[in-house]
Amino acid sequence: MPQRYDIAIIGTGPAGISAAITAAVRGKTILLLGPAALSEKLSRAEKIENYPGLPAISGADFARALSAHLDSLGIRITDGRVGAVYAMGDWFGIQAGETTYEASAVILACGVAQGKPLPGEEEFLGRGVSYCATCDGRLYRGKTAAVLAYCAEAAKEAEFLATLCARVLYFPVGRAPIPRAENIEVIRELPRAIAGEGKANAVLTDAGAREADGIFVLRDAVLPERLVPGLATEGERVAVDLSMRTNLPGLFACGDAAGRPYQYVKAAGQGNTAALSAVEYLSKR
Amino acid sequence: MVTKIENEKMEKALEAKAAVVDFSATWCGPCRMLAPVMEELSEELKGKVDFYNADTDENPQLAGKYNIYSIPAVLVFKDGQLVGSSVGFRPKADMKAFIESKLG
Ligand SMILES: Cc1cc2nc3c(=O)[nH]c(=O)nc-3n(C[C@H](O)[C@H](O)[C@H](O)COP(=O)(O)OP(=O)(O)OC[C@H]3O[C@@H](n4cnc5c(N)ncnc54)[C@H](O)[C@@H]3O)c2cc1C
Repeated sequence: MPQRYDIAIIGTGPAGISAAITAAVRGKTILLLGPAALSEKLSRAEKIENYPGLPAISGADFARALSAHLDSLGIRITDGRVGAVYAMGDWFGIQAGETTYEASAVILACGVAQGKPLPGEEEFLGRGVSYCATCDGRLYRGKTAAVLAYCAEAAKEAEFLATLCARVLYFPVGRAPIPRAENIEVIRELPRAIAGEGKANAVLTDAGAREADGIFVLRDAVLPERLVPGLATEGERVAVDLSMRTNLPGLFACGDAAGRPYQYVKAAGQGNTAALSAVEYLSKR
Repeated sequence: MVTKIENEKMEKALEAKAAVVDFSATWCGPCRMLAPVMEELSEELKGKVDFYNADTDENPQLAGKYNIYSIPAVLVFKDGQLVGSSVGFRPKADMKAFIESKLG
């Protein structure tokens, strides 16, 4: 039996770190998942003018201070990307890479997902469009798969698909790395839309239509309702009440994931609230 | 109880007044998470609807026939007619509401 944590916290920005600190101080066993290097939104800020007690601190120094705070409480970050959170009833399954963790409560502090879906993407989701090569790849054994690569992990996933599919068309977007395999064709054209009839069958670029049986859209940020099947959202934000509760009992959201304003101090404050609500939830079960 | 469909034979599900067929596979993470949910629902909805599981690797013709492009895929049948389908994991309450809505 895998260990069941009291609270799993997803995201290593100010919201997740604040939630982790409060949960740890309250004596809960926690699993803090996200990049060990912390949120990129911390290091990228040149100067933060409005965080109480830390006037004109640089984002890099703020990140160092947060890391030191985690260290002082003995909180370790489990470096990884969460692919999905499954609400199982009175516990949650949290899939990250090959591992599925278990926790009694979950705090979603994964920031806000940017970038709009491509035309056709939502329409054909589950009908030729997939977000997970390791989940759906085998359905395209011996066929042609297209990978729209918006993130660093996409190259690895394309190489995995190449072991199953006859051909893999790889569309690197931005700084996505280039995979290596004989049957991978790198296509340097920007995907504009996904086309099909009843089922997706082509990636449209300015150069024309590139036919494929399966189209894998691999992004860094996953929309919260995709990360957590069954989660209620309002636009791009997770719907929460003032206690940071979501529609799923035991699952809380905070920080940018829970909506505007996008601010460090608000994220940290909501992380604290979410942790206290999770502690209360656990005590009432 | 969830009955396994073997050798592409799902006549029983089509003959039932109401049946739910969960197309999944052993290598698929969300399918593994959905399995206990379906098991519990099969008990809660006992007498109203029969539950089946079809492994897409073992039943490729059925998967092809029902256009399964992504799994888990849950298909609802009423008197042998396909009346609804849902792709991906759903929490139990959600899945129950979905199945009940399709059975009308
Ligand atoms: C350049 C810049 C300057 C800014 N300046 C200011 C300022 O001066 N003052 C201010 O108040 N705000 C400022 N902001 C806004 C601030 O950065 C955000 O409001 C804040 O970072 C939100 O914190 P968060 O913890 O909610 O989310 P984030 O900081 O976005 O953290 C989200 C975390 O979740 C992780 N994550 C996401 N998905 C997954 C997944 N599937 N699995 C695991 N981990 C995942 C991410 O990697 C990240 O670690 C600035 C933002 C930028 C970009």
